[in-house]
Amino acid sequence: MKHLSQERASFLLTVAGRIVPEIREMDPDGISRFFGIVDGALGGRPRKARRQFGAFLGVVRWLGLPRWGMPFERLDDDRQDRVLRWLQRCPVRVLRQGFWALRTIVFMAYYGQPEVWPSLGYEPRWDGNEALHA
Amino acid sequence: MREVKADIVIVGSGAGGGTVANELAPLCADGIRIIVFEQGPRLRDDELTGREVEMAQRLYFESGGMLTHDRSMTLAWARAYGGSTTVYTGTSMVVPGHVIEAWNVPGLRWDDVRERSKKYLEENNVHLLEERLINENNRLFVKGCTALGYRVRQFPVNVEGCRGLGLCNLGCPNGAKRGTHRVQLPAAERQGVEVVTNATVSSVTKRRCLVTVAHREIGEPSSWEPGEYRVTARVVVVAGNAVNSPVLLFRSGFGEYLPALGRGITLHPALILAAEHDHPLTNFFGFPKSYFTDEFREDGRFLLETCMYYPFTTAKNLNGFGAEHSSFMKGFRSMQQILVLALDDPADTNRVEVGRHGEPVVRYRLGRNVLDSLHASMKTAARIFFAAGARRVHVPAGTTFTIGTADAGRLDDLVPRSNVRPGGMSISSAHLMGGCRMGADEKTSVTDAWGQVHGIPWLFVADSSLFPRCSEVNPYVTVMALADRVAQRVRERFKELAS
Ligand SMILES: Cc1cc2nc3c(=O)[nH]c(=O)nc-3n(C[C@H](O)[C@H](O)[C@H](O)COP(=O)(O)OP(=O)(O)OC[C@H]3O[C@@H](n4cnc5c(N)ncnc54)[C@H](O)[C@@H]3O)c2cc1C
Ligand code: SF4
Repeated sequence: MKHLSQERASFLLTVAGRIVPEIREMDPDGISRFFGIVDGALGGRPRKARRQFGAFLGVVRWLGLPRWGMPFERLDDDRQDRVLRWLQRCPVRVLRQGFWALRTIVFMAYYGQPEVWPSLGYEPRWDGNEALHA
Repeated sequence: MREVKADIVIVGSGAGGGTVANELAPLCADGIRIIVFEQGPRLRDDELTGREVEMAQRLYFESGGMLTHDRSMTLAWARAYGGSTTVYTGTSMVVPGHVIEAWNVPGLRWDDVRERSKKYLEENNVHLLEERLINENNRLFVKGCTALGYRVRQFPVNVEGCRGLGLCNLGCPNGAKRGTHRVQLPAAERQGVEVVTNATVSSVTKRRCLVTVAHREIGEPSSWEPGEYRVTARVVVVAGNAVNSPVLLFRSGFGEYLPALGRGITLHPALILAAEHDHPLTNFFGFPKSYFTDEFREDGRFLLETCMYYPFTTAKNLNGFGAEHSSFMKGFRSMQQILVLALDDPADTNRVEVGRHGEPVVRYRLGRNVLDSLHASMKTAARIFFAAGARRVHVPAGTTFTIGTADAGRLDDLVPRSNVRPGGMSISSAHLMGGCRMGADEKTSVTDAWGQVHGIPWLFVADSSLFPRCSEVNPYVTVMALADRVAQRVRERFKELAS
């Protein structure tokens, strides 16, 4: 990963597994494709946006500390979801938007993989019009 | 810095720039040198892979994820030979008369815009798709609207040899959509217009354009060597789109003389809505967008159109996360989708500016009226989904992730207006308009009714930035019609401007 430290990247994967549960079952090739897309996406963003993304991951990590006394990755699934749900509806717009950006990048890195599409039944074909009457 | 002499420079090769290039191309026969500079690449056919993330990176500015300054909306436009016409769906609408009336530009008449629009409908092979090419996603929209008594209309589209891949917004790999990259630009090049790709114009002062040609890993190499160029021209036509044209004029120092520059942008803020049926549909096969309803144009200030997006775009547009989100995505084959376009009015808060590093900054506040429209449109779309037979509907502002048929009658309770908040749902725009609006008054507009920048006879604008208000229909045909006027004015005045 060029645009995220090893530590941040592995934390991202933990959070990503709560956003798309299938990410937890991804094999090493899938994980490497996942990070390939994340890296490409961050590389195409302005530097400021990349910094903000890294900082937001820090917020997610430590948000539960005052309440539960531990970082995100040590919380159980239910509490992790509560943190994410709180961010999603957060009255502070910048946090809500940070969550939005995080979700977007995770969805891109998972659903952007053509290897994932068959699991959704999404199989575009050249002769789509023929398929209309198949 | 290399020096180059030209007669006419056109900045941008999209709907506006491509049209002007083709309309002026006959001048090449008289030895007039016309150069189009296009920031993006000229992709080879085999580089149009239809893979969502890859194509977004290749074709769209910031991969289609540019954010407004307050981060509540994403803006999509393409940066390529052909501009956004490489990724548009190709629905081809003539702007209604009442819109041109509301624009209130002295010297701009609807019958003129209509006649020019018709010329482009013909040039782009616009027609209605045959019944047998309409997929179920589109048919269900008609079924839902009809059951509810809503007026529903078929979109004329500009395809030729469409095989129904459904990948229109990723650059049709089949070459079926008639964008400027397929029609106007090749025709212009055949007549002698030079199109230089990977070439960014950074300023246009005093008939001098500063141009940087870059090397890119993808696409055909640019016809010019990478490097810096100073290009002198007698006429400059700026057609970079509603964001880039104001930015280029600001960077060239015109902001000082043009108080309306960058102001009055409108975006047709859009939402993608989805519902699940109890059986697989033909949704991503076939041409994706064939119907719309303008039933709510006056009352609700929104349009509803059929659409079908790809997995990532769909996932991003659903609210929520985790198991419920994932299970909805697994029903992709059974998904029906509807696109909402809110009809927004220009506001003082909404404008294009230049950032500290010369980058575009779009300030746009989702006003109360637009949020009201989005709220009403979500409930209307949900009714259409249910009337079409959907078993559950995802409403981004809903109190639950999906609403089932049992609750179809409780939409007013389950979709509270208070849930419609900026930053709380995925709102995007692919219809960028305004920023160099036409008009007679130099204080409130940037160009006259023929696209000439006030007070600068050699400088023209010919793109979607000319719109004084939103078009209330999909805009590209209107962009072409206005660009056609600009080309006519340049032709008429060229001798005078050249001397
Ligand atoms: C996904 C999508 C789907 C759409 N579908 C439809 C549809 O179905 N029907 C419809 O009517 N409209 C549709 N639109 C909108 C339509 O494509 C645009 O309104 C239209 O193309 C705008 O034309 P334009 O000339 O203003 O800009 P564009 O077509 O965007 O072209 C501008 C070009 O200028 C280049 N440029 C900018 N600045 C510079 C610079 N400084 N130097 C060099 N080059 C520069 C850009 O790279 C770009 O290629 C769609 C748009 C998108 C993004
Ligand atoms: S549906 Fe038609 S126009 Fe769209 S990508 Fe497929 S072949 Fe091209």
